[in-house]
Amino acid sequence: MKKEIIVIGGGASGLAAAISAKKEGRDVLLIEKEDRLGGILNQCIHNGFGLQVFKEEYTGPEYADRYINEFYKNNIEYLLDATVTDVIKIKDGFEITFSSRKTGIKKVNTNAVIMSTGCYERTRGSIIIPGDRPYGVITAGSAQRYLNIDGYMVGKNVFILGSGDIGLIMARRMHLEGANVLGVAELMPYSNGLTRNIVQCLNDFDIPLFLSHTVTQVNANKNQRLESIIIQQVDEKYNPIEGTEKNFKVDTLLLSIGLIPDITLLDNLNVEKDYKTKSVKINQSYQTNVSGLFICGNSLQVHDLVDNVSLESERAGVCASQYVLSQTTKANKNVRVVAGKNLLFVTPHYVDFSSESSKIVFQFRSKMKIEKSMLKISQDNKLVKNKRINFVVPAEMESITLNIENFDSSNDIVLDLEVL
Amino acid sequence: MYDYIVVGAGIIGSFIARELSKYNLKALVVEKENDVANVQTLANSAILHSGHNPKPNTLKSKLCLLGNKLYDEVESELSIPILRTGAYVLAHNNEEEKKLDDLVVTTKQNEVTEFEFLSFDEAVKYEPNLAKTVTKVLSLPTTSVTYPWEVAFACMENAILNGVEFRKNSEVTNITKTDDIFKITINNTDIAEAKHLINAAGVKADDIAEMIERNVEYKITPRIGEYFVLDKRVKGFINHVLYPLPTNLGKGVLLTPQVHGNILIGPNSKFVDDKDRANNTTDGLRYVKDNAVLLADNLPFNEIIRSFAGVRSTSNQEDFIIRESNEVSGFYHVAGIDSPGLTAAPAIANYLLNKIMMVHEKYDTKCNFNPKREKLQEFHTLPNDQQNELIKQDSSYANIICKCERITEKEVIDAINGPLGSSSIKGIKKRTRAGAGLCQGGYCEEKVYKLIARETKSSPLDIVYDSQKSNLFVSESKVKK
Repeated sequence: MKKEIIVIGGGASGLAAAISAKKEGRDVLLIEKEDRLGGILNQCIHNGFGLQVFKEEYTGPEYADRYINEFYKNNIEYLLDATVTDVIKIKDGFEITFSSRKTGIKKVNTNAVIMSTGCYERTRGSIIIPGDRPYGVITAGSAQRYLNIDGYMVGKNVFILGSGDIGLIMARRMHLEGANVLGVAELMPYSNGLTRNIVQCLNDFDIPLFLSHTVTQVNANKNQRLESIIIQQVDEKYNPIEGTEKNFKVDTLLLSIGLIPDITLLDNLNVEKDYKTKSVKINQSYQTNVSGLFICGNSLQVHDLVDNVSLESERAGVCASQYVLSQTTKANKNVRVVAGKNLLFVTPHYVDFSSESSKIVFQFRSKMKIEKSMLKISQDNKLVKNKRINFVVPAEMESITLNIENFDSSNDIVLDLEVL
Repeated sequence: MYDYIVVGAGIIGSFIARELSKYNLKALVVEKENDVANVQTLANSAILHSGHNPKPNTLKSKLCLLGNKLYDEVESELSIPILRTGAYVLAHNNEEEKKLDDLVVTTKQNEVTEFEFLSFDEAVKYEPNLAKTVTKVLSLPTTSVTYPWEVAFACMENAILNGVEFRKNSEVTNITKTDDIFKITINNTDIAEAKHLINAAGVKADDIAEMIERNVEYKITPRIGEYFVLDKRVKGFINHVLYPLPTNLGKGVLLTPQVHGNILIGPNSKFVDDKDRANNTTDGLRYVKDNAVLLADNLPFNEIIRSFAGVRSTSNQEDFIIRESNEVSGFYHVAGIDSPGLTAAPAIANYLLNKIMMVHEKYDTKCNFNPKREKLQEFHTLPNDQQNELIKQDSSYANIICKCERITEKEVIDAINGPLGSSSIKGIKKRTRAGAGLCQGGYCEEKVYKLIARETKSSPLDIVYDSQKSNLFVSESKVKK
């Protein structure tokens, strides 16, 4: 059995990628580890999804349903409850190993792979909070799942560390369920969530946001349950300032301290990494340096809006299809894309001038909050394009779309964000 | 009436239980925690030391050397994992090289016969990431690493199958002795009676002793050690246990490759007051990092997946305390078992039974004692054809619960229902490694609690993380109600 394209993951990204590749006429198989399609959207029962793609406001499950229906309509082959355990490069493609109750352990070959495996939540282990190791310190996404899918509350008195969007959403959600939400602490001097979430999830419910604060101690009771936390203000170097301690009696500390692309399946492939996005490097076709390996959605870069995940993955599906048709044997002609002044990262990392994709969607995040800025894209110190952007924050990913004809194929493409 | 009651089911209590199960006698192990191996055995370096540095002619030096050798037998009988790493003790300058020479004197006195000096150039061939500042290395090939949770489970499980009784969540609250019979009160309510009482209560050994002795001759002061865990992706970054030179505080901050591919960094050493609390501190973790970089270059701190603190039951005596009480006959101390306690554990149990308690003089050996613990190889390490054979017998082998560590539904079910089964999230993690990986249970905790609820026919509201009162959930949601 050989497929043209295997899509790993059936969330927002995988659905969009599979649909677009199938519409291009490809033979597609999507493999999903859970018992239903839709991924994390299923637990996001709040609204605010779909404004860009559908010009309508949906809840997460409603948004997923639009894509799932489209997916069914296109008669795309898929497996549920099947976990991919290995992706191996072979001649003319890949060998994918997956495991499921129905099939046992199976191997299937494919010309191309689209990784749409999403992301996982940063845990307490990755930020090292001093104190005990009690139960009650859990990631916001887990609490969201337990509450919205399973129907259980993880605590009564809640504090939230990190102002990522899931944390903000959960502050409101737990409040509405009757929990006492005592506050949100954010290490940075600005919020890491969307502005609309600060307003609608915290301000509307009088939940305080402590900027430049972090949790410096967690204490357990005799039953190994969280009993209290201490938060402290931090200086410019993020070191806690003595004398600013505040004590909160809480049984739950939700962590909303960031998401990390889940690319563990790529550990054994020699894929070039990007330490800023914590994922891998791609060209404008969402293809990695391993030919035939495509990646999109939150496994490529953590997005703020699911609409952008869908749009990006749709493009990746088309590019993977083009790859399968042309089976590009010609050498890549890569030009580097450089994240210049004030930018944390830019994707894609390369523009391949031998590729069929002439459209380049640059997506980037700034390193800091800038009220008025000018994005300058240049090659060999010559300005190719500039664009004024007002109110840039690290929490909101920006993008600009250009055509490959704007660029020459010999010089680095540099993106700078000038403060005006 | 029991012949023996053992207080404490850490690694020591578990080995003692297994030794007792070789005889025709009635034995009970009581443990205050909701699981075996939940305090000192829970959090340590997992090293089987060669015996190079305890003070010569002590129980620590003798039982460490013996224990290290006994683990070969434990490995074959109980199918526990041992990673034969060897160890390097590192010197960075002339002064430290002299101390390394002194250490070799101790090493020889302790009858550790396998050791050699290596130059930096020789050592770096085997340890490419060895710190460039290292000048000389003492190589100790008999040092290895095991998986303490599994060793304790294996011993206790084997003891249970051979007739020993085990009660968890059973805290000893009072002890009396009348007419040569010990009466042990458990959780202030139940009474158990025994002819002999073994105190293997770890950090609380002195508290237990105080219940029955007027003048307890030792005091346990908990000593905390803090660690970082690196993800198993770092496997191969170092291949040996890397020690700095020992000081009077102990063996220092080490780098230890673990049996599942992770690397442990730590521990520091800090006396604390509270026996019930092993917690991490900013200073402690910084100290660990600062000292670890002296052992290897370019340590991948970005692969840290967890930090934790463990507690050692350090006594005010220099040596292990393994003897019959001077005041109360039939009451035995196995106390002050800090490092190299894990290594010495099988030898401690032997020594206690055969040299102190003389069990063989009082009881017959059990003719049907089964020394073997059959354990399937970890499923994800089997070849595909063998995996599919097992899946044909039970399809739950094909359902992956923990994505990071590749743990299947069948393995979780076995951990819940086994002879030493557990129905806590942490108990399942200790038995299967579900939740011990990169995402720290972010993905699998939900699947694990549902399996526990299904297998034990309980409500999710009753599922606990660790202790009996550490419930995952406080209530149902409004919709569900």
